[in-house]
Amino acid sequence: MASRTSKTFLSLGRINIPLLGFNKSSGKVTYATALSINSSSGNKGLPDRGGRGSFVRRPRREAGEPRTGKMPVDQDWTAVYPAAAPFRPGSVPLPVRMGYPVKGGIPPEKKGNLELIKIPNFLHLTPAAIKKHCEALKPFCTEWPSALETDTKCDEHFPIKVESKEYVSAGPSLRNPSARIVHLRVKLSSLNLDDHARKKMIKLVGERYCKNTDVLTIKTDSCPLRQQNYDYAMYLLTVLYHESWKTEAWEAEKTVADMEDYSWEDSPSQKNILDVLLRMKVAGEGDGEEVRQQLLGRKDIQDYKDSVTRLKNEGESESSMLQYKEAVKKVFNM
Amino acid sequence: MAASLSSIGSVRVLSTLARSSSLCSFSGSRGLHVTVSCCKNRAARIRVGKGDKPVTYEQAHHPHHIGHRKGWLSQHTSNLKGEDGAAERTVEDVFIRRFMFGTFHGCLANEIVIKRRGNLLNVCAVMLQKLPPQKFYFLIGYTESLLSHFYKCPVKLEIQTLQDKIVYKYL
Repeated sequence: MASRTSKTFLSLGRINIPLLGFNKSSGKVTYATALSINSSSGNKGLPDRGGRGSFVRRPRREAGEPRTGKMPVDQDWTAVYPAAAPFRPGSVPLPVRMGYPVKGGIPPEKKGNLELIKIPNFLHLTPAAIKKHCEALKPFCTEWPSALETDTKCDEHFPIKVESKEYVSAGPSLRNPSARIVHLRVKLSSLNLDDHARKKMIKLVGERYCKNTDVLTIKTDSCPLRQQNYDYAMYLLTVLYHESWKTEAWEAEKTVADMEDYSWEDSPSQKNILDVLLRMKVAGEGDGEEVRQQLLGRKDIQDYKDSVTRLKNEGESESSMLQYKEAVKKVFNM
Repeated sequence: MAASLSSIGSVRVLSTLARSSSLCSFSGSRGLHVTVSCCKNRAARIRVGKGDKPVTYEQAHHPHHIGHRKGWLSQHTSNLKGEDGAAERTVEDVFIRRFMFGTFHGCLANEIVIKRRGNLLNVCAVMLQKLPPQKFYFLIGYTESLLSHFYKCPVKLEIQTLQDKIVYKYL
């Protein structure tokens, strides 16, 4: 190969001399430089493949500078990471290091660092990017209706609240069987129920009614589709409402044990207190209906009635026991 | 994950010895399965040697360092509570790793990271510059289209290339 190039030089030199001579005579000086033609074998150290044929190995290009070296400080970062993408060390101009260091060393650098690729990054969610997202979404948004400013107004106009969940997961299928469950919540105070209907409704639904918040929750998951479950829940609510307004013949057989609240009238407590007072001859007369009625009308008996009713309905607590004690003391003039 | 770049001799041999006598009906048949024992304190560990063996960060840290010094190579929602599909995702992962190992033979610098974002399957790999770029582009396109058709979901390959493997330490 060396001999070949030297021959080329010589040939060029021969051509040049008369040229130069010609140019010198005209007063111009031109320099003709001979470029060595090395394109046929550009790879360093490769043997001459002249005999092999047309296979030419292209020169291996050196990798250029990564993009981080050419980034201006005020560039548009949303163009570098427009969507969620793994960490690219050549695109992130930060000297990040990640990993457990070798003894006496430092964490490995970002080039070829698999740990940085493994973790999710939020380089596509800078404040500037989020602002752009918001601006793009604004034309599709509408104002919140002004008549629904407070929660109470929302409850008043929309007393029935239906809740269902959507599930997003990673995988080829977007079906999730838990997405069919529907919860229907309604406050009984917003339904048009009289006393009997309300008590019957509470008895019919049982566990689904919460006494503290007065909320009836119907949960339906027996149908395979959410639409079917929603229709079933609305149907259940309608049926409950209408059934609780009806009075069946067998409801007349309601005993004291079925009552939801304790009522003092005709209870053992009333009988006992009246018997005790009559024995103590407070009224001064014998047994009789009017005597009992007169006793019932007294204030301290009314207080006693209130305290016992409160104890039975609300359960025992400091204040209710105190109230009972005061009422008993008043009745027996202690 | 099964397909590791430097699988060091954890070959499992299953041999079934079935003893049955086909003539007598009341003796029945029994099977005996035998495997080579693979202790859990030797799994995925490169043993310390003379000091001339280069290992990457991934290989240098043992499995009990996952979660402490190493991250997870595969991320999807199926391993969360109440989610299903974990087995299918795992099988997909194993296949994808073997496929990549075979398609880009000798070019992989490190393990393959698989991320799933909803429907999209994102395969991240760090490669050595052993092939000319045109061949790389072809193999990337081939892998993406083949895996997309196979798994019926969009598959994206994110490739980074290096001159040579990043050595963490020498064992």
